[in-house]
Amino acid sequence: MSADVLVVIERRGAAPVRAALEATGVARRLAGPSGAGRVTAVLLGTALEASAGTIAGLGVDRVITVSDPRFDTFQTALWAAAVAAIARELSSSVILLAGTNNGRQLAGRIAIRWDAAAVTGIADLSPGAAGEITVTRPVFSGRAFQEVRIGAPRVVLGLRPNAFPIPEASSPPAPIAEHAPLELGPLPSGGAVTGFESAQSGIGPDLSDATVIVSGGRGLKGPENFRLLEELALSLGAAIGASRAVTDSGWRPASFQIGQTGKSVSPQLYIAVGISGAIQHLVGMISSRTIVAINSDPSAPIFKVADYGIAGDLFQIVPALTAEIRRVRGS
Amino acid sequence: MELLVLIKPVPDPDTRLRPNAAGTALDTDGVKWVLTGYDESAVEQALLLKESAPGSRVRAIAFGPAPRTEEILRSALALGCDTATWVEQPSGLVPDPMLSANALSWACQKTPFDLLVVGKQALDDEAGVVGPAVAERLGVADYGPVVDLRWDPAAGKFNLARAVEGGLERITASGPMVVCLQQAWNDPRTAKLQNVLKARRTTIDKVSWAEVQAGVGPAVPGTRLTSFRLPPPRTGAKMIAFKTPEEAAQQLVRLLREEAKTLP
Ligand SMILES: Cc1cc2nc3c(=O)[nH]c(=O)nc-3n(C[C@H](O)[C@H](O)[C@H](O)COP(=O)(O)OP(=O)(O)OC[C@H]3O[C@@H](n4cnc5c(N)ncnc54)[C@H](O)[C@@H]3O)c2cc1C
Ligand SMILES: Nc1ncnc2c1ncn2[C@@H]1O[C@H](COP(=O)(O)O)[C@@H](O)[C@H]1O
Repeated sequence: MSADVLVVIERRGAAPVRAALEATGVARRLAGPSGAGRVTAVLLGTALEASAGTIAGLGVDRVITVSDPRFDTFQTALWAAAVAAIARELSSSVILLAGTNNGRQLAGRIAIRWDAAAVTGIADLSPGAAGEITVTRPVFSGRAFQEVRIGAPRVVLGLRPNAFPIPEASSPPAPIAEHAPLELGPLPSGGAVTGFESAQSGIGPDLSDATVIVSGGRGLKGPENFRLLEELALSLGAAIGASRAVTDSGWRPASFQIGQTGKSVSPQLYIAVGISGAIQHLVGMISSRTIVAINSDPSAPIFKVADYGIAGDLFQIVPALTAEIRRVRGS
Repeated sequence: MELLVLIKPVPDPDTRLRPNAAGTALDTDGVKWVLTGYDESAVEQALLLKESAPGSRVRAIAFGPAPRTEEILRSALALGCDTATWVEQPSGLVPDPMLSANALSWACQKTPFDLLVVGKQALDDEAGVVGPAVAERLGVADYGPVVDLRWDPAAGKFNLARAVEGGLERITASGPMVVCLQQAWNDPRTAKLQNVLKARRTTIDKVSWAEVQAGVGPAVPGTRLTSFRLPPPRTGAKMIAFKTPEEAAQQLVRLLREEAKTLP
């Protein structure tokens, strides 16, 4: 039996978030080829056309838009009620959520409302015989992997960001249909959004969906030297992170902190610059695919977990690296 | 203000992880169970709010087997929680986070509350589903991952900030509500010996498994653990030998492109 998958598409501005594109590809994998199972993508909010168009070209069977300004802000109860209602209507067997903060917040809520199992933080998955799905997820901050088999007839699956490829464009695009207005009944009212603070005043992607992160530690010696990292990040299209030594000293705001009391990230490439590799830092980045460490102390613990190490002075190595990357990328 | 905080007994972060003989789950032999991670932050946050609104009370609630669950509830009492509820988990039951959410929601609805604080995710299973699931069961709003949370006595509302991709969203909300906490901005306190001793004598309210089942229906986990394994040991970095910084950079870029294939 193949799955009938409903994939929830989150947007930022006019475009779907990267994690939603990844989820769209996973949805196809779960449903099997067109004709076996069906993939429906759903978008909620206003000004959905551009995003719906992008998703329609990524191998889904159809796109449903719910044009309703109530969904322009994220309220878990409201979003969960809408997604569960649509899944009921379509008799979906899987609801797929992207690896975003909102996606994570929705899983448990939808599962209660839709009477389903829920598994989040999925790094790999395989549809098995008899409709059973087996998923792999890192646990204990990436120190172990757990395999979970889902026997329930309905399941909410949440993905890890950056764990899956973005699907290739397909043609012809799937049909896009506007859903009738949703009647959701009484729901707890959410609070009022009073403001938004952009995490990074500078350039580049956000930490949580960056595929490359350049992270700086106390070895940078002062806030002014982050300029070196900014140039490296720019050459790579990377986001900038920091150790707690840096955020505690006020060289960078707390939103840059990676580790036990900061963010957990899992980019394709993590470059640690002047970071010693304390366990509280490691737990936040250990599940990165490739780790590079640049540190003047050859015995720094970061070299134990890194894939590639350069024992050298960051003030010499980082500018050379930026130049070399610019050279090979022809920019 | 009535505050509830959900805490889960989890292995000490320093535990050397080992799979059990069947390779399906963590070998819990000799594991020390503690209150830690985001749950420790959640307790701290509840206590800070209690101190900021005189007359407030904090109840810690945990679902799990003996003796570890009782022990972490006593740690929470020693830190300053006023009361504690232990939702008893029968031996032989392997709960998944959704089952835990159902069991916990039964205990939560017994105490009317303004704010229920949970960790963003449990240190061990890292699911992050319990908070929102309990909120849905109880029909209240939820916010997460929350990185700042304060009580505004003049407005009678909470001011909070949640992390979203690209930044922080500031929200003003009134209770009852569930907050999934990402981090404490004040380092969690440690218990005074005198309070540890007092906590040993405090009565912990118990909710039996029979009562939970009567309340929320028969609970069967919808998922099953089939494997627990450790990642291949990190063998240490391939160290790049170089004479000049330029040479180091060239070698690294070549390795990232040709070997690791992770350079965009
Ligand atoms: C409860 C708790 C929670 C914590 N949470 C976090 C967390 O979330 N995130 C986090 O990061 N930390 C956290 N920490 C702090 C952590 O223990 C470390 O103190 C911190 O990570 C150290 O930061 P660092 O590596 O930048 O600094 P240091 O440990 O001081 O390391 C600096 C490194 O720079 C190198 N260096 C110096 N000069 C140069 C140069 N010219 N070129 C190249 N290398 C150079 C040095 O060799 C050294 O290895 C936490 C600690 C506790 C107790
Ligand atoms: N068995 C449990 N007992 C009490 N609280 C729990 C339990 N499981 C999860 N929680 C709470 O829910 C949060 C998220 O857990 P999880 O959804 O399992 O990642 C934890 O940080 C705790 O606050």
